[in-house]
Amino acid sequence: MTLILRLALALMLLGPGPVLAQDLQPALQAEAERVERASRRHVEEVLETLAANGSPNLQPFLEAWQDKGVVRAEDGLFYYGQREGDVWALTDIDSGAEAGTVDRRAARQLKPNAGVRGVIAAALVQFQLSDPRPGARRAALASLERDPDAALLPALRASIEDEPDPAIRALKTDLERRLTARFGEDPAARIAAIDRLGASVQDRAVLSRILATDRIVAEGGAAPEGAIVAGPSDLDEAERLALLVEAGLAPAPVTRMARDMALTVAITDGMVAGRPVATLESEAARWEAYEALAAGGAARPRPAEAAIAEALASHAVLDIYREADAGVIAAAEAASAAQSARLARHGAVDLGLDALSLASIYFLAAIGLAVTFGVMGVINMAHGEFIMIGAYTGYVVQTIIPDYTLSLIVALPLAFCTAGLAGVALERLVIRHLMHRPLETLLATFGISVALQQIAKNVFGTQARPLTSPDWLAGSWIISDAISISWIRVAIFVLALVFLAAIVALLRRTRLGLEVRAVTQNPGMAASMGIDPGRIGMLTFGLGSGIAGVAGVAIGLYAQVTSEMGAGYIVQSFMTVVVGGVGSVFGTLAGAGLIGGLQKGIEWLNPSNTLAAQTFMILFIIAFIQIRPRGIVPQKGRFAQ
Amino acid sequence: MTRTPLIRRPDVIAVLSCLAVLTLGATLMAEAGLISTSFVKTLGKTLCLCLAAVAMDLVWGYTGILSLGHMAFFGIGGYAIGMWLMRARTEDVVAAQLAQRPLPPTPAEVDQAAATQIFGVVGSDTFPWMWVFADMLWVQLLAVVLVPGLLALVFGWLAFRSRVTGVYLSILTQAGTLALSLWLFQNDSGLRGNNGLSGLQNIPGLTHVPQSTLSLWFLWASAAALGGFYVLARWTVAARFGSALRAIRDDEARLRFLGYDVEGFKLVVFTGTSMACGVAGALYYPQAGIVNPAEIAPIASIYLAVWVAIGGRGHLWGAILGAAAVSLLSSWFTGGGAPDIDLGVYVIRWTDWWLVLLGLGFVAVTLLAPQGLAGLVLRLARRRPEAPARTLEAARAEPGE
Amino acid sequence: MSALLEVSGVSKSFDGFKAIDGLSFAIGEPEMRAVIGPNGAGKTTFMDLVTGKTRPDSGTIRWGERILDLTRLSESRIAREGIGRKFQKPTVFEDQSVWENLALALRAVRRPLRVLARAGADPERIPALAADVGLKGALDRRAGELSHGQKQWLEIGMLLASEPRLLLVDEPAAGMTPSEREKTTTILREAAKTRAVVVVEHDMEFVRRLNCRVTVLHEGRVLAEGSLDHVTADPQVIDVYLGRG
Ligand SMILES: Nc1ncnc2c1ncn2[C@@H]1O[C@H](COP(=O)(O)OP(=O)(O)O)[C@@H](O)[C@H]1O
Ligand SMILES: [Mg+2]
Repeated sequence: MTLILRLALALMLLGPGPVLAQDLQPALQAEAERVERASRRHVEEVLETLAANGSPNLQPFLEAWQDKGVVRAEDGLFYYGQREGDVWALTDIDSGAEAGTVDRRAARQLKPNAGVRGVIAAALVQFQLSDPRPGARRAALASLERDPDAALLPALRASIEDEPDPAIRALKTDLERRLTARFGEDPAARIAAIDRLGASVQDRAVLSRILATDRIVAEGGAAPEGAIVAGPSDLDEAERLALLVEAGLAPAPVTRMARDMALTVAITDGMVAGRPVATLESEAARWEAYEALAAGGAARPRPAEAAIAEALASHAVLDIYREADAGVIAAAEAASAAQSARLARHGAVDLGLDALSLASIYFLAAIGLAVTFGVMGVINMAHGEFIMIGAYTGYVVQTIIPDYTLSLIVALPLAFCTAGLAGVALERLVIRHLMHRPLETLLATFGISVALQQIAKNVFGTQARPLTSPDWLAGSWIISDAISISWIRVAIFVLALVFLAAIVALLRRTRLGLEVRAVTQNPGMAASMGIDPGRIGMLTFGLGSGIAGVAGVAIGLYAQVTSEMGAGYIVQSFMTVVVGGVGSVFGTLAGAGLIGGLQKGIEWLNPSNTLAAQTFMILFIIAFIQIRPRGIVPQKGRFAQ
Repeated sequence: MTRTPLIRRPDVIAVLSCLAVLTLGATLMAEAGLISTSFVKTLGKTLCLCLAAVAMDLVWGYTGILSLGHMAFFGIGGYAIGMWLMRARTEDVVAAQLAQRPLPPTPAEVDQAAATQIFGVVGSDTFPWMWVFADMLWVQLLAVVLVPGLLALVFGWLAFRSRVTGVYLSILTQAGTLALSLWLFQNDSGLRGNNGLSGLQNIPGLTHVPQSTLSLWFLWASAAALGGFYVLARWTVAARFGSALRAIRDDEARLRFLGYDVEGFKLVVFTGTSMACGVAGALYYPQAGIVNPAEIAPIASIYLAVWVAIGGRGHLWGAILGAAAVSLLSSWFTGGGAPDIDLGVYVIRWTDWWLVLLGLGFVAVTLLAPQGLAGLVLRLARRRPEAPARTLEAARAEPGE
Repeated sequence: MSALLEVSGVSKSFDGFKAIDGLSFAIGEPEMRAVIGPNGAGKTTFMDLVTGKTRPDSGTIRWGERILDLTRLSESRIAREGIGRKFQKPTVFEDQSVWENLALALRAVRRPLRVLARAGADPERIPALAADVGLKGALDRRAGELSHGQKQWLEIGMLLASEPRLLLVDEPAAGMTPSEREKTTTILREAAKTRAVVVVEHDMEFVRRLNCRVTVLHEGRVLAEGSLDHVTADPQVIDVYLGRG
């Protein structure tokens, strides 16, 4: 691509300083025919001549040409042409002055084909690298990134010095480093560039380009002269054999299909090779018949197994680096290893953040359950439906208040109230009457859960309802290319912290909290000291359900609102409570952390299969309960049983 | 106490004669064309559910273990028999197709074609390891009882050993059930993921028998299984064993201090009933035609508990009442049998509102009639000794008039 | 006479509170022993330790000729070894008849599958046992319908039915009328003729009527041991019982 080099030189000579007003039209006229009917074959030559002219009008002309914005009028001159109805509005190429209009048939539009446009575009890049418009410079860089070209390296380097915009300058330096790493003039320069490569996706792509390999069949097992072997290929025997057969280095085996074809063709009067067709109902019988056919010359004989084994043993299939310089390869390998290690570290941090946000969700979903379970000793199977009630409350609020921020501010306390009231109602109407019958409470609340779910389905329909988050919660907090966390999850984490603090403060600092703790630890004693367990039960139920409602809004923001959403969290919530230890806020926190971390951890080990991850997690929890039947933070005292 | 021989106990007589009447009646009516094949299947399926409910009553009503996983054993029974049904039948069909080719098919070809047919939906063309013996009926019949039994044994041993009781145990069984169903939902579980096993109503070797006849055979088999299991369950809860079970329910610590190995008893009941559920499932799914992981989800097991609670715990026959009543009502309501109620502003469609009714109705039963339907029946029966007397008096009085 | 039960140096603390503190205790067969002590002395906890309900932090509990270590056995195994226990609060199976309660307790195989197969258990003995504890006419009644005293006797009857070698009885006379106490004393004395019986009791009068060796517990330790007259003369015991009165 000497053309591009020369174009670049021309540009450099011109520089950004005062420009000789050199007209382009004469140069165009000199090449008029080849410009008008440009072809991929000679367009480079044409461009070269045009560049030699040194006119500053070349770049706009090329851009217009590429965009089919150039016409040739009947006078043979080229103009910029704008189609206006039945006429062309012409503009002079050199002066930029309007040149009147001509009938649309009086001028011919230049329509360069795709190949020609490609060459023009490449030539344009170097102009654009120094274009006064920053947008154009960025576009040029992007184009060069997509289509890296060793020949443009000097132009790129030259443009760095005078780059006024520091951001674009950084982009240019980065790109220069990548291009040097791949196309640099000598290995030392390339290695230096490789060593300076960063962690961006593009930098990693460069490394993998340098480390690309080809798969070759090595006759006699040795690599060809000068090739650097990356290693033996990871193909299995059949695949290697296929390659060897293709290269003519091994005899082709007879496939089962070919065998069956030969046998079928050879059927005459129900007999093949002297055997009745009906006897060919096993592999062995078919091979025998085939060999009989082959012996009679009616089919290609099977190659000896030994010959195939011999071919496989004596030839190797190797992966060979495309890169020829060992030093460069070594540097790239080292850089790539460092990258992988760094990526793994960042991946671990990202995983940790993921686990943290999952744990916050579980905490929010489970803390209400933990409180009610701890105080009343009953399992509320309808807890998941309180989550759902909260989420639908958020949805309804959003349909009334169109502003997402405002509706969220309204929805959170409202969801707390609706779900809380539902909880109080459930406690007064059902649970209170099933005192000391925990298993029946479990089933009765299940009945409530079924009814609530179905009611929600009847009212809101079966399709998922969106709960849109305000703009300031959309998107992610991107910490590095491997670490990012969506703002909603950050918000949920904060929400979980707020609720943790609020509940701890409530339990530790208020009279109500004291009474709640008393009832949790010893209901009989608490009752005899004048604490009304009924009132405490009702209040804690309201509180626990209210928190579930808030959790519902939070969950609805990043998942969708359906009548079944609560059911998806209920088992996890139970697990969280049971693993954490009943009646303890910090136990629930620990349980949520353990379960969230575990789930993410298992998913990370087996990313393709989240179902299996959940299965394993539950099995782990069952095992965990073997070791600590009372949870991480066990309840203490004589009445714990 | 075993003072009356088992077979003369009134409840055993009642259950067995009801079953006899039901099967005979259904057979006659089906032959006369009065009831459809699908209704016969509904009856047969209901009997299987009743069997599971009796097992649940043993576990929960008698022993006090609210297992939220017994329908999983039921489903496993279905899967175990379904594997044979599906594989044997597919192989028959495939072999017939391959026989059209010029060369007679080899066993490997049949195998592969059958595997492709069965596992194409999950992108595989080989039988997973657990299907190795699926073409042998006796292996799968063994699996119907052994797989649920083994699972229950391991799970129960772990759970009971660590003294997990009450709601904790319920949650643990629910979690275990969830784990199982999630695992089955995967495509590479080897059991066709969420597609489940289908076409189970076609019995290999009996394809010439019409479904109307097959459905009757299954009805008889289901009735026989229910009757047999009822007698077995009654025998189990009679005498000291049953007494020990109820003692576990009421105060297991006390029973321990009497020298009973409570965990062992629980394990026997848990495992035994899981096997019964496996058998029930193996009878149910050939009538239903399809088994999939959704059937194993915890909610199915919770419904089982609900049936038993509605029927009344601790009587065995109460469980049958509950399961039969709720599941028949449920198919009546959801099948569009119940007339919609037009309120003018809103039409109550029972297909939509049945679950609401069931859920709230169940809460009402728990609150107002903890003894369930059985309690109701017993209260009526306790009043009866007077009733015959009164009719006798009436009879005596009549000639005089 | 070698000891049937030998508790040595046993300690148990709950959340740092020492309920039993280096307790040693031995009883032979047949023998009747009363254990007294103020509330919270650790009497019930002592029984919990022997019957396997609670595991000691340290110390050993040896049992029988084969010198089994009870701290390693499960509650049910300990019961099968021949240690019967009556709880402070009467605990019978309220939902079952007196007959069924006694049948459950009868000395017979306890293995689940054997029980299922109807092995063991000789129901002939049930009426006689019921007669022993004065419940002859109540065999078919639900245990839940019995009076408090009858429940206590039923529980003792269940203990006798299981024919233990050691009987641990926690406050049997609590809540009984004087005539019921009389009867309880008779039953216990009868039982102690052929086996070891440990009775925990508050009521000195009741203990006096038992007429046996007395062990005084205080703060998880043995304070004194000997005849009732001997221990009531002990200044330490007087201090503990009366000093705080
Ligand atoms: N499981 C337990 N947890 C905490 N403390 C206990 C437990 N069991 C007993 N204690 C304490 O040990 C002490 C002794 O109790 P106990 O043996 O019941 O005394 P008593 O001699 O009145 O029967 C009491 O202070 C009691 O509170
Ligand atoms: Mg005490």
